[in-house]
Amino acid sequence: MEALLASIAKNIFVIFGLLAVGGATAMVASRSAVHSVLAFLFAMLNIAGCFLALGAEFLGMAQILVYAGGIVVLFLFVVMLVEMAKGKETNKAVFTAQAKVAAPVVVAGAFAFLAVFKDTVFGASAAQALTLKPGLAEGLDVARNNAQAVSRGLFADYLLPFEVLSVILLVALVGAVVLAKTERV
Amino acid sequence: MNGFAAGLWESLVSGSKLIWPQIFLTFAATVMLWPADLFVEKARKHVWAPITMVILALTGALIYLTEPGVGFSDMYKVDGLTKGFQALIVLAAFLAVMLSQKLLDALREQTVEYYALILFSLVGMLTLVGATDLMTVYFSIELMAICIYILVAYLRDQNRGVEAGLKYFLLGAFSSGILLYGMSLVFAAVGGVTTNLAELNRLLPVVPQSSSLLVFSGVLMVLVGLCFKVAAVPFHMWSPDAYEGAPTPITAFMATAPKAAAMGAFLRVFGTGFAGVSSDWMLPLSYVAGASMILGNIAAVRQQTMKRLLAYSSIAHAGYMLLGVLGKGVDNAQAVWLYLLTYLVMNTGAFAVVIILQGKGEGERIDDFRGLAKRRPFLAFAMMMFLLSLAGIPPLVGFFGKFYLFKLAVESGLTTLVVIALVTSAISAFYYLGVVNQMYFKEPADLPEGAEPEVLSTGMTLIVGVTCVLTLVGTLAGPWLVNTMFRITWI
Repeated sequence: MEALLASIAKNIFVIFGLLAVGGATAMVASRSAVHSVLAFLFAMLNIAGCFLALGAEFLGMAQILVYAGGIVVLFLFVVMLVEMAKGKETNKAVFTAQAKVAAPVVVAGAFAFLAVFKDTVFGASAAQALTLKPGLAEGLDVARNNAQAVSRGLFADYLLPFEVLSVILLVALVGAVVLAKTERV
Repeated sequence: MNGFAAGLWESLVSGSKLIWPQIFLTFAATVMLWPADLFVEKARKHVWAPITMVILALTGALIYLTEPGVGFSDMYKVDGLTKGFQALIVLAAFLAVMLSQKLLDALREQTVEYYALILFSLVGMLTLVGATDLMTVYFSIELMAICIYILVAYLRDQNRGVEAGLKYFLLGAFSSGILLYGMSLVFAAVGGVTTNLAELNRLLPVVPQSSSLLVFSGVLMVLVGLCFKVAAVPFHMWSPDAYEGAPTPITAFMATAPKAAAMGAFLRVFGTGFAGVSSDWMLPLSYVAGASMILGNIAAVRQQTMKRLLAYSSIAHAGYMLLGVLGKGVDNAQAVWLYLLTYLVMNTGAFAVVIILQGKGEGERIDDFRGLAKRRPFLAFAMMMFLLSLAGIPPLVGFFGKFYLFKLAVESGLTTLVVIALVTSAISAFYYLGVVNQMYFKEPADLPEGAEPEVLSTGMTLIVGVTCVLTLVGTLAGPWLVNTMFRITWI
């Protein structure tokens, strides 16, 4: 029993990963859109589990909040509204025609990408890619204090792009209103 | 820990001094949207135009007062280049707002959002020309572009406008993806330590051999992304449609302000960030510049509508301006600035004439310009001056800008491209003069009964008059312009 638990703890990342892949497959394969969304939710929760297993608690929690909490609910709303408006429309043969061509192209593309960027993606420098600048990491155990490290990156180093991003979100809202509003003047 | 927090606060305070114009604009635009708009009646929305002009004038003053400096952990820098291009952008926006007022009144499409979106796009552009970090470059480009996608589709009752907006948005989103991917490759190539332009310039030339392909593809993708924003061939497909479908004042705005901002970014990213690896991008960029001049000018010959003609002409002008990027030095950046200034004057004038004619339900097609000299001698004369100046005929101001740019390009050894530029300039004179021919030597198709008196709004007359005078005698201000130009530096 002890040994079994230990091996589970050791491979927890792989377990979550496989469950996520299962969820994603179920999402693509299921006939009903609502089932698809629920499978998507399952996959997202398992990806959050993967993050947690890797010690990235902040990312894991953000994943649950944003995807499981926000986006999936939004999807469900849309799916239900559309289904009510449209009734059932079965269109099974959407991807079958392209799949024969697309699958080899995607696989070949992935291999070409790996062949070209193998050194960079798996090279010596890859591990340091997302570390904080030394000045920002001062007095902070980055590995332990995930959320603090993210906040330092966001509000100290990348403050200006972050603020510009907030204006972009505002503009997107205004734009949606401008383009969707019916009456004017 | 307290030391860290205190340092953060200090850098925030010193950094915010650099972006007062942007802070002011964001604040003003947000207040305009809410709550100020609640107090304006539906029939009186046109008051937002003068208010926007006041805001823009104040922004100009703030830009003038901003002290040079570096802030936000080296992500943003105020120097001569920043201030010079920011002034151009604010001027372009000011003129666009002035052009907008009457047209939107006529279409009954006045809203506060229109003006607020112009101001928000300005925030992106002002940040873009001062950006010294790829992250800032990317996000400010996005802010600028998203506002303009919406403005292009602003007249959403017209199919043409919606189509233009959607096309521009899809292609723009795609090119943003390429730009971002290129940036990530460059980031990876230097070992994933920095996106700062000065640091990149130091690190890029010394990357190990195994990463050189990464640098090449990354730099090339950034090049593609920026070429899309300045509408250089072969990434120009969106521009004729977007120019035609957008409300005409927005077309005038798109042809000047975002172009100036993207050129500023181009000069800074390639002049300071990627200068060390110039062998990677010089050849592709010179092909892009040459193709823009050739295709832009030749395609313009066959256009039937004025806005499409001006769109292709702006593609060709982008090609000329890329000569300045290829020249690399600070003096070339100055020449590009001068070129943009002269282009802003004559282009705004030309669009103002188109807008005035559009108010009467004409001016879209080149045929509408038939016999304009008889009907409206002043407008026809002004239009002729703008077109001749766009063609670069001396002694008009367009020649002044072109001459300086080409002279520096020859000195940088870009002889072949300058020869192409001169030949294509001659081709451009052909189609510009074609319009002049329509105005002066053709009889009007159907002269309305009873000669209509020239009724122009004061604002439009003012714009056409002032830009026409500037086009005519701008060259006389040459010494002063050159003096101002020498302040455009990035050191």
